[in-house]
Amino acid sequence: MQLDFGMMTKYMPYFFRSLVVTLQLTAASLLLGIIIAIPLSLIKLSRFRAVRAVGSFYTSIFRGVPLLVQVFVVYFGLPQLIGLTFTSFQAGCITFAFNSAAYISESLRGGIMAVDVGQREAAMALAVPYGSMMKDIIFPQAIKSVMPSLVNEFIGLLKNTTLISTVGLVDVLRASQMVVSDTYRAFEPYITAAAFYYVLVMFISFLGKQLERWVNKSDQR
Amino acid sequence: MISVEHVYKSFKSLEVLQDVSLTIQDGEVVAIIGPSGSGKSTLLRCINLLERPTSGHIYVDGVDVAAPKVNIQQIRQKVGMVFQHFNLFPHMTVLQNMTYAPVKVLHMDAKQAQEKCLALLERVGLADKAASYPATLSGGQKQRVAIARTLAMDPKVILFDEPTSALDPEMVKEVLTVIKDLAGTGITMALVTHEMGFAREVADRICFLDEGRLVEDAPPEIFFSTPKSDRAREFLDKVL
Repeated sequence: MQLDFGMMTKYMPYFFRSLVVTLQLTAASLLLGIIIAIPLSLIKLSRFRAVRAVGSFYTSIFRGVPLLVQVFVVYFGLPQLIGLTFTSFQAGCITFAFNSAAYISESLRGGIMAVDVGQREAAMALAVPYGSMMKDIIFPQAIKSVMPSLVNEFIGLLKNTTLISTVGLVDVLRASQMVVSDTYRAFEPYITAAAFYYVLVMFISFLGKQLERWVNKSDQR
Repeated sequence: MISVEHVYKSFKSLEVLQDVSLTIQDGEVVAIIGPSGSGKSTLLRCINLLERPTSGHIYVDGVDVAAPKVNIQQIRQKVGMVFQHFNLFPHMTVLQNMTYAPVKVLHMDAKQAQEKCLALLERVGLADKAASYPATLSGGQKQRVAIARTLAMDPKVILFDEPTSALDPEMVKEVLTVIKDLAGTGITMALVTHEMGFAREVADRICFLDEGRLVEDAPPEIFFSTPKSDRAREFLDKVL
């Protein structure tokens, strides 16, 4: 048995194009996920039990259904239900965003609860309205404890995006599969894909560390 | 003027305040004292609605803060609060801590707010700390910043909730000096404290709470020399 990574070079441009797709999908899903997670975390912290129940129902759905099933429901199922077809990129973005929102909102909720209640009281005593208080006082402090799990979520999301290859989007995994069928060799293409993901994850971890240091700046003397 | 009328407050089955009534005139300094768990802080926190009374009325300038549709923000603009644990915003500098609410809530011009707050910092003796973060300050300095932050809103009333209880002994005085300087400037003050000497010195009246009831309400010279109730006598015996 022989390995021939040399033959991979001609597929490299192809891999890098698919890398852009993976990155776009991950970034878009994460961003959208955070945007959904913010109000969702506030819903989970509501004074009203019924409102809180909506929040935990949301999370239980996305936690309780395998992600691949969610992808299929959105990509194949929803068009039948609402008559709107999604591209595989859109379907992935929707699924991963709503899915990660479920997890991000949980850690956001924890982060908000971990902020000293005195901060909230001080803001209230200064007549600061709820929205401003959350945006300027509570979230900036909550984000410190949320940052590590947000980085984890980012990494998990990146790896989960491989599921989208099952509905035809040419991400890094799909690209490697196509190289496999083109060359009748499996090891080199898949190892190449693995290396791409590994390097990406290492890079995100590194960025996350820097970001953590940055948000903790005001604690230093 | 603050007028507390027949206020009850209970947490679940625990009755914290029972039929408390008292009036604080404009510019008056009232010290609220009593054993721990007597409901002092709860009474204070009812005035700016950090706690909602179970029943009864609290009027601040004629507005019932316990009414269901009251504009809480409006009342809190007039009633500032200084906390035991300072509650400065750790991610903001001293100056940002102070200018935040005036700019955000009172829509004060940012430049104007900064000048005003720098002057206030000068007044509490911390002009050189404007750009520092709270983590770099001592407890006494933090509390002085917190007082200045409250003053930046131009409140008519300031509620002090055990402002020196979390401080090291050597820092108590610098904070009390700042509070003393405020007494007599026309700001109405309600002060929950364990500093009996200080209460005697600055307060116009002493309110003694015990087990959720207002047991005595008298000028300091009378309260400290001839307390009427046994409870107050026992308490003073222990703390003086």
